[in-house]
Parts: sequence; C-alpha cells; structure tokens
Amino acid sequence: MSAVAAAALSLRLRLRVAVTAGDPATARRLAHLVAQSGHQPVDPTEPADAILTDSTDGAAAAASGLPIVALGAGEGDFAGLLPDDAGPAQLDAALRAVAAGLTVRPPSPPQPGFAPLPEEPSPALTPREIEVLTALADGLGNKAVARRLGISPHTVKFHIESLFRKLGAGCRAEAVAKGLRHQIVEF
Amino acid sequence: MAENIEDRLTEFSAALSQRVAAARPLVAAIRMRGHSLRSGTLWRKDVVVASEQTLPRGEEAEVALAAGGTFTARLAGRDPGTNIAILRLDNSPQPVWSGAAAPQPGALALAFAADGLGGAAVRLGAVHSVGPAWHSRAGGRIDQRIVLDLRLGRGEEGGPVVDAAGKLLGISTLGPRRRVLAIPTATVERVLEPLLTKGRVARGWLGAAVQPVLVPEALRDEAGQAQGLMVLGVTRDGPAAQAGVLMGDILVALDGAAVAGASQLAGLLGPEAVGKPVELRLIRAGAVQSLTATVGERPSR
Repeated sequence: MSAVAAAALSLRLRLRVAVTAGDPATARRLAHLVAQSGHQPVDPTEPADAILTDSTDGAAAAASGLPIVALGAGEGDFAGLLPDDAGPAQLDAALRAVAAGLTVRPPSPPQPGFAPLPEEPSPALTPREIEVLTALADGLGNKAVARRLGISPHTVKFHIESLFRKLGAGCRAEAVAKGLRHQIVEF
Repeated sequence: MAENIEDRLTEFSAALSQRVAAARPLVAAIRMRGHSLRSGTLWRKDVVVASEQTLPRGEEAEVALAAGGTFTARLAGRDPGTNIAILRLDNSPQPVWSGAAAPQPGALALAFAADGLGGAAVRLGAVHSVGPAWHSRAGGRIDQRIVLDLRLGRGEEGGPVVDAAGKLLGISTLGPRRRVLAIPTATVERVLEPLLTKGRVARGWLGAAVQPVLVPEALRDEAGQAQGLMVLGVTRDGPAAQAGVLMGDILVALDGAAVAGASQLAGLLGPEAVGKPVELRLIRAGAVQSLTATVGERPSR
C-alpha cells in the first residue's frame, strides 16, 4: 500500500477487529490483512467492533453477537461474506459496512433457473441477419461488420434496420439480447 | 349460515393439515459440508431425489428425514437435463405415497421443503398450467409442463409436490424468473434407473451451437421447409466437426426428419441416438448437401 493511501486510511476511524481462525497460521494471515486494511487486529478475548473469521471457525464467532466478516465462506449467516482472496481495500470496506449495521455480499453468479429450450422465434431471421447480429455481439461497428462479411456498409445498415424492426429493438445491445443470446443452443 | 361457513372452512383446513401430515414423511433435509440446507424427496427405500441445479458439488451428504432418522448419504448420480440428482442412503424407511397425480390447472398443490428443524415446511398454491412434454436447455425431456402458482425459496427446491388427494405431482424446481415448476413423477421414474446404475443419463450430442433461421427462399422447395438451424459454433473434434460441419451451414434435417427448431433436434438426440450414424442434411453455399455424423454423448458440465 502506498504511504499516501495508508495515511488516508489512518485519518478515518480505526476499528478493533477480533480475529479467529481454525488454525494459527490462518489467524496470523487474517490479522496481517486487518492491519493492511488500516484497522487494528485484536485477540478474540479483547473488546472489539467486529470479527474477522475464516470459514471453518464461523460457529464459534457467532456466539459473540458482534458483526462478523467471514472470508472464503460460500454462504452462511454472517453480516459480511468475502471471497478468500479479498484484498485490504475490500476488507476495509466490508469491516466499515458491517460495523455500521450493513450486510456485505460478493456479487453472486446469476441463477437462471431450470429453463426450457427457446420457443421458436417469431419472426425468424435470415442467415445474413444472424451473421450481422453475431458480428454486433462481438462489438463490431458497421464498417467492421461490412469488412467481415464482405458486403457494403450500406447493406449492413439495411440489415440492422431490418433486425431492429423484426426484434422490436431500439439499439444494438437490445437486438443482440433479443435475437441471439437466448436463441443459441448447443447440441 | 355464518356458523355453517365457518364449519366448512375449518373442515377444509383440517383436511389440508391431514394431507400435509400424510405426505410429510417424504421430506428429506440434505446437508452438505459448507453449504446451507437443501430439500429432497424420499422417493423409495434408500433413495432421495433432489434438485440438481441447487445441489452443491460433492460426494457425501447428511440426510435427515422428516419421517425420522439421520443418514449418511452418497451422491449416486446427477442429470442436469431433467434437473434430477439422486442420493443413496443406507437402510432408510420405505416411503408411502399413493401414486402419481394427474395435474389439472386450478387444482390445489402442496409443495414441501425441509424446514431446518428436522421437519417439513409447506407451501400451498395451485397448479397454474399444464402443458405437453418439453425439452430443457440442457437437453433433457420432461414428460409434462407443470407450472405451479406458489412461491419457493432457494433451499426449498427438490421437495415433493402433492395434490389435494395426496398424490405425487413431482418434485419442485425453480425455473426462469423464479417461476416454480414440478418435474413430473414420470420423469423422475424414467431417469432413476440410469442414475442409480451409471450415475448419469446419456444424451446425444453433435458438438454444434445452432440458432433457428429462415431458409433462403430459392432453396425452400429443395430443402422442403422454410426454417432450419444455422450453425454458429462447432466444438473442436466433436461429432459435427468430424463429419465436416462448418460454421454458417444451415441444418434442415437429421436422418430424414425435419429440424426447424431446437426442440425438434433435441427430440432426435435422446439417449437412444448415442453412437449411431446419422445423415445431416444441410445447406451450404447455396446448395443442399448431406454429411454423415456419428452421434456422440453430451459431455457432463
């Protein structure tokens, strides 16, 4: 951490963070991380503002009634959940948040649910329109699409207008989302 | 009069509770190390069915039955295609259920889940709609489309769903946008044996990503149809690649059967197709041609 960043952290409130872990080596690693994040690691027996624990020792920490940040626990009844490789900045943000009574969760992967095969699209697209749509999905602009498909930019524009009309889309991203993303199936 | 209505309501409520008490012993609570509780259904002696998409990876679990008893369970198999996972127990009681239900729209439905206290939680709703057999994105065939009008929590998937007569509609499953489905009893029965003996359900696989497309007008007569499946991706060394399928090809038929949409193709690539040679009719560079591919087995995720 740069000296400037460390100084900026020290200007803010320092929290006393009790560290518990399943084994001493992990406890030392967590205590070091707390110090790096600008807070004060303390022994579990001392008064504290929050607890940092690893996923193996969560149950013991829960008895204290203090807000808990758990590192590497996929789920659980903790105020804060952080991935195992969380850095000092993330830990600082999480500790301040749980001390203020908030809940911290890493972004969870989308859970699409058990889905059927896509219904047959109405209106179906032409092969050329799908090629244009695939190129749009790759982030290409009109000229690049024209180059890739060996057609004129004017023709590309024509196909994009047709796509917008057929899919009821107002922009490229919407056309890609409506026309492609949910229709491609792997067999 | 008022008294009368109250009596009927009380009777209705008591009848529901009775059904709940009767189906309760089917409920299983599944605990896997490091994960929150999942729900399951004691399907037969020593066999618990769970929702595949929500069951964590792992080989071992602890299963507590609402009927009583805690068991060490082993994961026997999982099938993403039908969203069914099977756990094997040792010496569980024999569940009692009174047959498969015939779902009717509007009929009451009771969805059970593990309550985390060794018992069963219940949701009351109705059958929202019933449709024909369908294919999931993962390629499985589900015998009936049963949509339920009730809410379900994440850990509640996989519990039994019964109708007012106490018959089994299936196991609960969360679909897109948290819509609740039942995987029908018949589907569970169908995949149970392959899962118990082989740990998986084999399904046909070509190794090609496809999207429905309009067949160019000039070729519609020759192709015999107005819609086909355009190949947008080919898995390296997969069956399609080995047969010579290229990106941009439009598949119109497989072994003479028209494929105008994804579900038609899914229907032709069931477990029975694995290992068989098939004729792929496709449009390439403005002409219809045929290739022969040997159907592979869909790799597990």
